[in-house]
Amino acid sequence: MGPPTTFSPLAATIAFPCNGNWAYLYEPLFTFNMLTGDIDPLIGESFEFDGTMSVSVKLNPAAKFHDGEAVTADDVVYTYQLPERVPEVPWAGSLNYISGVEKVDDTTVTMLLNQESINPGMVRSYLGSISILPQHVWEPREADGDVIAYAELEPVGSGPFKVNIANPEQIILERVDDWWGNELFGAPAPKYIVHPIPKSNDDANLSFQLGEIDLSQSFMPQIWKLWEDQGLPVATWFREQPYHLPGNIPVAIPNVHKPGLDNPLVRRAIAHGINYALLAETAVSNFSIPVNASLIVPGAAEDSYFNQEAVDATGWTYEPEKAIAILEDELGATKGDDGIYVLADGTRLGPWKASCPYGWTDWMTSLEVLAQGAKEIGIDITTEYPETPVFYDAMRAGNFDIVMNSFAGASAAGPWQRFRDAMDSRGVPGIGEGPAFWNFNRYQNADAEALLDQIAVAEEDAKLDLYTQIDEVFRTDVPVIPLQYRAWEFYNINETQWTGFPTSENPHTPPTFQGSGVRVFAKLSPVE
Amino acid sequence: MSSVPVQATNPEITTPPDETGSTIWRQIKAMMSGRLIIALILVASILIFAFIGPFFLGTGDPMKIVGGLYNEPNSQQWLGTDNFGRDVFTQLMYGTRTSLYIGIVAGVVATVLGVAIGLVAGYYGGWVDELLMGITNVIITIPSIVVLILISIAIGTKSITSMAVIIGIMSWPWTARAVRAQASSVRTREHVDLAKITGASTPSILLWEIMPYMMSYIFMVFVLQMTSGILQEATLSMLGLGPSSSISLGIMLYWALLWESVRTGAWWAFVPTTLMLTVIAFSLYLLQASLDEVFNPRLRRK
Repeated sequence: MGPPTTFSPLAATIAFPCNGNWAYLYEPLFTFNMLTGDIDPLIGESFEFDGTMSVSVKLNPAAKFHDGEAVTADDVVYTYQLPERVPEVPWAGSLNYISGVEKVDDTTVTMLLNQESINPGMVRSYLGSISILPQHVWEPREADGDVIAYAELEPVGSGPFKVNIANPEQIILERVDDWWGNELFGAPAPKYIVHPIPKSNDDANLSFQLGEIDLSQSFMPQIWKLWEDQGLPVATWFREQPYHLPGNIPVAIPNVHKPGLDNPLVRRAIAHGINYALLAETAVSNFSIPVNASLIVPGAAEDSYFNQEAVDATGWTYEPEKAIAILEDELGATKGDDGIYVLADGTRLGPWKASCPYGWTDWMTSLEVLAQGAKEIGIDITTEYPETPVFYDAMRAGNFDIVMNSFAGASAAGPWQRFRDAMDSRGVPGIGEGPAFWNFNRYQNADAEALLDQIAVAEEDAKLDLYTQIDEVFRTDVPVIPLQYRAWEFYNINETQWTGFPTSENPHTPPTFQGSGVRVFAKLSPVE
Repeated sequence: MSSVPVQATNPEITTPPDETGSTIWRQIKAMMSGRLIIALILVASILIFAFIGPFFLGTGDPMKIVGGLYNEPNSQQWLGTDNFGRDVFTQLMYGTRTSLYIGIVAGVVATVLGVAIGLVAGYYGGWVDELLMGITNVIITIPSIVVLILISIAIGTKSITSMAVIIGIMSWPWTARAVRAQASSVRTREHVDLAKITGASTPSILLWEIMPYMMSYIFMVFVLQMTSGILQEATLSMLGLGPSSSISLGIMLYWALLWESVRTGAWWAFVPTTLMLTVIAFSLYLLQASLDEVFNPRLRRK
């Protein structure tokens, strides 16, 4: 691995910190706030939807790029229209939801919602993740040729930091002392941010433990031992399980077209057989509570859509005896001599392979727990760990028994995108017809699709009811089986050098490196 | 831990077994009070632990999840649990068994190849010798661990047996060189000429006239190859190149490293495994060294 060869947000492989969610060097109009589930003002002062037709965004007149030029409506129009001319730009998907952008005046733009897929939530998500490019810098380059491959070594953004040094060991960002947002959002306290490029996870974790890293987003098993046993000034968002703010739900995806697995009751039996508490403890080091029978993440950005009563009423938990009751009483399955159930029509429940990429240890452990649970209820599931590209090819082709995968994490679009990923068959090629990028098991349900369309355009106060309905469809059909909650970003704090980081007891900033988490730098102070 | 080039120990040409079988037995008996006894006890203990232990101790299934992430040793799980919540003691028994199996397979492959190539080269001499020894010398200069890593990455399906065979295939050259030296000496003896005159075929001469003179050496080299195979498997598996769904000592160390057992203080995930590897290697070396004394008159006189 060498140093980044470009700090362009258009690159095929985007270097730190140029991804649209990072508001360090470049800035999007708004930033996603993991605590509220909404987007916070940045270059955009405010936004207002005109029904489902358009959204009007008011820009902050103070916003300016590092070269002193103001950030204007022209820059926004240029950035949002770029994928029309260069379809390879990373935010090209925005065209599915934003069909046009118009300048009203220097500080106002109107974005037209794509009437073929109206979805204000996804529009909000894009408002919070597309970096605004300086038109005066990028337009001449576009005329010169391939902007995607352009080696941007002196990036011009509008954010509070710029690149100081980049080498194979680290990327160092330097504070922009005259950043336009200093008064509005507070000036960052650290003069430099050093982003080390560690050789491995344990290398990074050791540096963190030694106090050489102040903030780390690596997976650190049993991190609580650092403050409980060693008394180090280390913290996470919560002082106890699940330690981190949940933001996603890795799931097991059964192939709903395989005999046996095509039966929702069999899938529900498998779900009843999984020891979720054990899985949370072993696979993710207690960085998750035992997962609920729901595709909505409770306790964070999506909490307002989570209906605990409904989950308790119709969901499943780890109850092997219920799994056996389903198999024997509801399905009339009989146990063979080998201890594996056979359905009334002669279908043996397995052998099925549950797979995830080799080396993804937390997922591998999750599947081990799943396979062992299945074995105990008389379903034959074994694990298999192919290399990552092999795994993805098979998953996208629909060529699997059970795979593990993560769908969309928390975003300004709410859990909509996760439900779409799990339950929407529209736009997904059938098995053997090409690769799918969501709904890998090609599950199909007209009710779910109708509900997805309703949620996309629903008013906020109607959403809880609609999400409960679609979650109910999910619980009835079990197209996927949630296995654990996953932090949107792990947020490990070591206050040896700097203090003032947010925790659940002092939640002044979301515990994320991306989105609104960038505001943390104004809240820090050096340890005396 | 690294691969151990199996150097020819003492390519001493011993007397044929038919003449001195009873003498060797007397000598073995005479050595029984020495380090051979310790070596035999250690090897027997390892074999009992690996092959008989699982019938009486542990959870019966090394893959069974019986606890949480890195549970400390307790009355149920004598060596605690690993990152998957599986019983480390049970894993250690099954892991030792797998490692011994790998050692035996790799040892057999390397010894058979080395002896066969060495015998043919030493017996025929001339261009056959030069060609075979040329190939051998080329292979000796290639760092076997690098080749092993490349092969492990290249082959799609990994299994314990395929890994053992690959290790064996990469380990024969030193044996071939030593056997070739002995064979080229033995072939000039009278009884070999006699066999040729009586019309014995070449394979028969190699098998019955030449090989018996080096049986003690072949056995010792097998023990060394076995030790080397076990350590090479541990190295490869610890780097994550082993069949992860199996249990071997190297794979146990791989998971322990990956799940940061050292940083989190879960010593039971790596110390017993490391000790077991050390004990196996030590026992086999000790066995080899003490057998060397039994077989080699010069060492014995000392």
